[in-house]
Amino acid sequence: MTVVPAIISSSIFFGSLILIFSERLNRAITAIAGAALMVALGRILGFYSEEAALEAIDFNTLGLLLGMMILVAMLEPTGFFQYLAVLAARSSKGNPTRLFILLGVITTILSMFLDNVTTVVLIAPVTILICEIVGISALPFLVSEALLSNTGGVATLVGDPPNVLIGSAAGFSFNDFLIYSMPIVLVSWAGALFLLKYLFKKELSKRPRSVKAIMRLNPAETLNEPLIARRILIVLGGAVLFFFVHHALHISPSMVALGAAAIALVWVQPNIEEVLKRIEWSVLIFFGALFVMVGGLEHAGVMEAIVGLLEQASVVPPVLFGVGLIWVVAALSAVVDNVPITIALIPVIKGLGESGMDITPLWWALAFGAGFGGSGTIIGSTANIIVTTLSEKTRAPITAKLWSKRGLPVMLVTCAIASILYLIAFRWM
Amino acid sequence: MNVTSCMKHNVVSIHIKTTIREAANIFVKKHIGLLPVVDDDDKPVGVIGMRDMLTLELPDFVTFLADVDFVHDFGAVEDIHPSAKTLNKTVQTLMKPAVTVEEDCGLLRAYALLIQHNQHDMPVVSKEGKLMGITSRVDIGTAILSTWFKADK
Repeated sequence: MTVVPAIISSSIFFGSLILIFSERLNRAITAIAGAALMVALGRILGFYSEEAALEAIDFNTLGLLLGMMILVAMLEPTGFFQYLAVLAARSSKGNPTRLFILLGVITTILSMFLDNVTTVVLIAPVTILICEIVGISALPFLVSEALLSNTGGVATLVGDPPNVLIGSAAGFSFNDFLIYSMPIVLVSWAGALFLLKYLFKKELSKRPRSVKAIMRLNPAETLNEPLIARRILIVLGGAVLFFFVHHALHISPSMVALGAAAIALVWVQPNIEEVLKRIEWSVLIFFGALFVMVGGLEHAGVMEAIVGLLEQASVVPPVLFGVGLIWVVAALSAVVDNVPITIALIPVIKGLGESGMDITPLWWALAFGAGFGGSGTIIGSTANIIVTTLSEKTRAPITAKLWSKRGLPVMLVTCAIASILYLIAFRWM
Repeated sequence: MNVTSCMKHNVVSIHIKTTIREAANIFVKKHIGLLPVVDDDDKPVGVIGMRDMLTLELPDFVTFLADVDFVHDFGAVEDIHPSAKTLNKTVQTLMKPAVTVEEDCGLLRAYALLIQHNQHDMPVVSKEGKLMGITSRVDIGTAILSTWFKADK
């Protein structure tokens, strides 16, 4: 490693991270500027090239995200998400605890297959409405929906952007996630749900004031486009089936997602402008630009140096190393976006693998840490930020102080459960 | 023709230190939808509309929903009324920035501004910025329509 490129590339990367964390500059703008600077200085100093930058972009990740975003963008206006929430409200018969569990389960299942952010964006407004109608505070429900979607999303390959990244980098299939991640996540999730029920027991024990109004909500009227909703759900179901066998058929997850998006587009023929408007382009751009930046770090030899340092620590058994990784990544993800952390750690773990370490457990540690860590603070994940923003339009806004009393314990408990199960599961590997 | 030709002169306004309770009283008594909020110099510093008042009864979360057709009964929301503490706050906490026009503004420009800012009523101010009157979509619209008949003659 030569010193100058290493210093320059690290300064660009960490400078960008600081700008993103301090919210001085929009994260997509920062990432584009950082990527452009990395390539420009890389060319001048000779450690990076345009070709290398393009190669650094993981198109499998971007394709999978784009495909799923298109499907959700089409499903969104059909009213399907409101339909589910209204069904939950009716079957709860206005009982706050039952409503709490039902909405939590729906949010979790949705966030296992769809992006957490989308799930929360769509479920939170109708949650507020239902709580207002019943006459209970929406606050416990909103906080829990964000926390449970953060937790549940870790279970599957497509549930969480860090998982998409890890799956693509490590070559894990959809089924690998079901075998290695889902059982641990389910237990951690149950722990989170029980803890939340306990933490909010005062709010949830309040008697609902208007049960009759809840029973008058008509689920059928929530579906604006029942036919379109059915078609997209069929395609989405087909995509999930293909995810189960994608590895055996040698099809990449991004091919499955983009293929499903293409079928849905042809079958439904929506107004494409409207669909494209709902795609979160800034997220895709952020990912792409981060890949370019981290590629620069790699080519400048920074990752090699970090791997070299970590190898000193490899006297520790990989499983204990993994538990340490869960907590370090979780702590970082609580204060920082988990996507840049994951993208930056991927080459490090790959490097450790090349030096002879068994890295399979480390990938899972990274997934648990990145996924569960986001629950710790009000800014830990985008889902948290969204429910907080929405709660400002209600009678009981969520505050950072409240989050540290409700979210932080959930992060600690889920990480602790995951650590114990992780030790048991990977001890023999 | 400019906007002064169709504005109402006897405009009801409130001082910035007025409480929300007093403002509500004026809305009811005068049966109006918008109150300009003025400072000590009678200059409009904001407006408070019926919609702003009603967010205290039905918070703005409804705007996040694609539609509310499926809600037949607002249940507990129906019995919630703003607390005494809320009603004793000044209108400053609830008002929105004022969209105003100067007295020499043309009718079409005034109408365009109303559409652009999604307003129904708009204060008219003098060159010195003092509140002179108030005009509405109906005032401006009927003034414009009336010119069509003049052209016929």
